[in-house]
Amino acid sequence: MKRVYVCTDSLTGIFSAIYDAWKTKLGENEVGIALRGSVEQELFCEYVEIRDNEKKAIAVENLIKRHLGEYAYWNIYHTILSHDSKKADVILGMMLEARKIPDSTRIMEHLSHPKVRRMFEISRKVSNEAHYYREIVRFRELQNGILFSEIEPRNRMLSCLGEHFSDRFPLENWMIYDRTHQMVMVHEAGKQWILVHGEQIDEKLITNCSVKETMYVKLWKGFFDSVAIKERESYERQRQHLPLHYRKYVTEFQEI
Amino acid sequence: MRITQNMSLAEKLNILSDAAKYDVACTSSGTDRKNDGTGIGNCAKAGICHSFSADGRCISLLKILFTNECIYDCKYCINRSSNDVPRASFTPDEVCDLTIEFYRRNYIEGLFLSSGVWKSPDFTMEMIYQTIYKLRTEYRFQGYIHVKAIPGASQELIQRVGFLADRMSINLELPTAEGLRKLAPHKNRKTILTPMRLVQNSMKENKQELMVYRNAPRFVPAGQSTQMIIGATPENDFQILNVAEALYKNFDLKRVFYSAFIHVNDDSNLPVRTDAGPPLLREHRLYQADWLLRYYGFEAKELLSEKNPNFNVLIDPKCNWALEHLELFPLEVNLADYQMLLRVPGIGYKSAARIVKARRMGVLDFDDLKKMGVVLKRALYFITCKGRMMYHTKIEQDYILRNLLSVGDKVPISVREMNYKQISLFDDVNFRQEQFATQQGKKAPIEQYLG
Ligand code: SF4
Repeated sequence: MKRVYVCTDSLTGIFSAIYDAWKTKLGENEVGIALRGSVEQELFCEYVEIRDNEKKAIAVENLIKRHLGEYAYWNIYHTILSHDSKKADVILGMMLEARKIPDSTRIMEHLSHPKVRRMFEISRKVSNEAHYYREIVRFRELQNGILFSEIEPRNRMLSCLGEHFSDRFPLENWMIYDRTHQMVMVHEAGKQWILVHGEQIDEKLITNCSVKETMYVKLWKGFFDSVAIKERESYERQRQHLPLHYRKYVTEFQEI
Repeated sequence: MRITQNMSLAEKLNILSDAAKYDVACTSSGTDRKNDGTGIGNCAKAGICHSFSADGRCISLLKILFTNECIYDCKYCINRSSNDVPRASFTPDEVCDLTIEFYRRNYIEGLFLSSGVWKSPDFTMEMIYQTIYKLRTEYRFQGYIHVKAIPGASQELIQRVGFLADRMSINLELPTAEGLRKLAPHKNRKTILTPMRLVQNSMKENKQELMVYRNAPRFVPAGQSTQMIIGATPENDFQILNVAEALYKNFDLKRVFYSAFIHVNDDSNLPVRTDAGPPLLREHRLYQADWLLRYYGFEAKELLSEKNPNFNVLIDPKCNWALEHLELFPLEVNLADYQMLLRVPGIGYKSAARIVKARRMGVLDFDDLKKMGVVLKRALYFITCKGRMMYHTKIEQDYILRNLLSVGDKVPISVREMNYKQISLFDDVNFRQEQFATQQGKKAPIEQYLG
């Protein structure tokens, strides 16, 4: 009978499940992982609930970094942030395959294995989305001087933005609010960024902008319009590069 | 000349961005720099695009002129001294303020600062220097800065600016010296190439210095670029591409940009105004060919010739080359060397590298190629895997061409029915002439130059 471990959709949860699955020494077809809330019940399967366990998670993290290398870890990390409901199983499958090959650090080159390829695709989608938000996050200055931004990403990739914006704006207070997943990244001037979950954002506070904010928005929108060359106009090309879906919080596409 | 004073910042920005938009370079690539913790900004090697304007072009930098006052009278330019247009100038603080405030909101990656020639080249360059100096020191800006060097400005000034900017560019403006003489009477090849050489040499010296002193200030770390206007003067694509090649080889340029000529002035020295719009397809083909020069090991003379001096409208330069060299195909993917793989239509430089790496581990088949990003519907006519072609295809010009056109861009059916020899006559220049002739019954612009 196949054994399926059921865990929470979090790094700790998934790594805890991998820990137990790994210990069984069962093969790829005999063991799997499903996320709590998206289990598709199958016949002839035994379901085992897994509790989040920090110690197990750290052990798995070390195992991956030591035996599969930084690049594989990078891919696994991005896969965990994905909204894909089968991701945990994909990671397990990839790790079990890595166990079989002579040089485990080259696992990501084994794209002919379906789980490895799937993981490659998932992690690429997430890192692409993160890259996209490095481009189109737009801050507005609130009355208290904080730079505030809101986004609605598909994946939980907020943490991928931390390093980029902390390095860029080390002396600013800024926040990025992920409306989809109800998370906020908070950066206080001169400090490390942190992630805050489930906190209610005061909707009034975040519309209360500084005195000069409207002026800069207008200047930017003016620039955005005047820089386009009429003779070359192409809304199709514009849409190709910047799909409508992503424009919701992008200043230059908003009405004032 | 009308000088408008007491203008609002919005009006100035409107005028000075509108006047700068014809400059095509907007990339923010080439520098990798972390913030040192005392200011604002950093640079990403690959560059970051923040938005796309209504013409589909990327917006990465705040692209503005310092002033559109100009003592020169370049025929193609909206700011030329003989035009009666509203004039404006920023102050250094205004430029700094806009850059910082836009940057803080993540609108932009940095500043692209160009300028009309105000009073004199040196005066203008000095203003630019002061602005950039302020931005780097007082405002502690560590993001990307691209500065246009003013032709005729003193060496010393250009060098000072180079230590503050990430990229510098000096526009070649027109592909040939004759073109320049005719359309930019105050500029000449010498005043353009001298600073270009200076920047090149200073970069070389700086590299030496950096090897000895790691913390020495860096000179134009993202390199220099230039641009030329396409279609304002009668040069053919072959001439233009040769110029680009010479610039890459002799001046170590990072990029040459091509800018399809846009009619903003009426002038007897300019081509006659038509409804055809800027020659965008021609510009596109030049970019494709430029790419082939820089990344694919092609030379200009392989792509075009005196006899056949213009790019084809319907086939891209690489396919065109392959069709002219069918004797070299089909190529066995498992054996061909990297340089030849690069020349196969449908194989990009990334997939070529992947192929070379992957075939060490095993023999490759068409399925594997597909996974590596090879565009099989183009490549299949030119390659074999394990000695086998993908389908039974003929190695024959007309046959391959017809098939390639049916997978390519939107091509009118009447065209698909032609054969290779007929199609190869359709370069953009002739194509336009014909269009003009039939649509408007007018004489084509090129003929007027030549006639
Ligand atoms: S120098 Fe020529 S191209 Fe530059 S702003 Fe003046 S007129 Fe225009």
